[in-house]
Amino acid sequence: MSAVHQFSLAVQNTAYFTALRESALAYPIILASHLATIAVFGGLILMTDLRLLGLAMTKIPASQVIARTRPFKHAGLLIMVTLGIHLGGSKLADYYDNPYFLMKMSLLLLVFVHAMVFRRSVYRNPAAVDAPGGPPRAAKAAACLSLALWIGILSCGRWIAYYDRPEGQQARANQIARQR
Amino acid sequence: MLQFRYDPATNPLNNNEWSFPLFECIHIAMFAMSVGTIAIVDFRLLGLLFRKQSPAEVLKATSLWTLIGLIVVITSGMVIFTTDPLSYYYNWSFRYKMIALVAAIVFNYTIHRKVAMSNCTAAVNAAVGAVSLLLWISIVFAGIFYAFVEELPYVGGPPV
Repeated sequence: MSAVHQFSLAVQNTAYFTALRESALAYPIILASHLATIAVFGGLILMTDLRLLGLAMTKIPASQVIARTRPFKHAGLLIMVTLGIHLGGSKLADYYDNPYFLMKMSLLLLVFVHAMVFRRSVYRNPAAVDAPGGPPRAAKAAACLSLALWIGILSCGRWIAYYDRPEGQQARANQIARQR
Repeated sequence: MLQFRYDPATNPLNNNEWSFPLFECIHIAMFAMSVGTIAIVDFRLLGLLFRKQSPAEVLKATSLWTLIGLIVVITSGMVIFTTDPLSYYYNWSFRYKMIALVAAIVFNYTIHRKVAMSNCTAAVNAAVGAVSLLLWISIVFAGIFYAFVEELPYVGGPPV
């Protein structure tokens, strides 16, 4: 049994995550809240990207769209990640080697890289994004990458549920889980 | 009485591994767009976001994207429904979702729109924004809850 597997099992077998996984109500509520957060806060990311591409909200200066929506996006991300940790933690032994889960985590990491890379040139640069000719090329690149990252994260998130571990591995994992 | 036979096993979405999750992804992305843009208007009505713009300006800036999102989310939802119509129909969470969806769309294009377009008091704005936000969130919840609730009894026995 690999150390990662052992660790994942230890995490999901903590009293807190076990109770959550086995709860008929708490688990679906957290899952539904995770999705509701996408619904309520996802639109802010989308509209910011579309604004930088010059496709939506063009009457509101791009710098204002970025600055005004920022605290909401931060709050949304915080809620989303908190709920996600609950979902992932309670089934970590099933997820740690799931390629879609790993891809989703990698893409989330890239979201932070993206924010850092475009911080100075786009997201904290009102003069550039409000230029009379429309947002610069860097802003459009940032918007396209942001859209691609978030669509990727959403899709990987959905596909986590459709991955089956190869048979032998699954049987072994089940056996280990039973022995615990 | 009109009757027709439909076997979900013949549905392409039930016969490969990728198309069902693909439609789910489209469905999720598009409810993010439709509900997300409505939520922006709701945040404005609640006085939380874009306070320099009027609710009418925020509504005009988002309404096209809301409409596109609603059309695609409903279409993809209908495609997903065809994979197992009976089990959706005999699910109280699905029934709530359909009723709430009709109510939310009517609300969105009548009261919500009217209030956003006119100069109502802050209290009226906030009430309408809150109702809209809660109604749409409840629809997302109902969508997740189908998988976790027991099926309703088939009235008059399951169709053969």
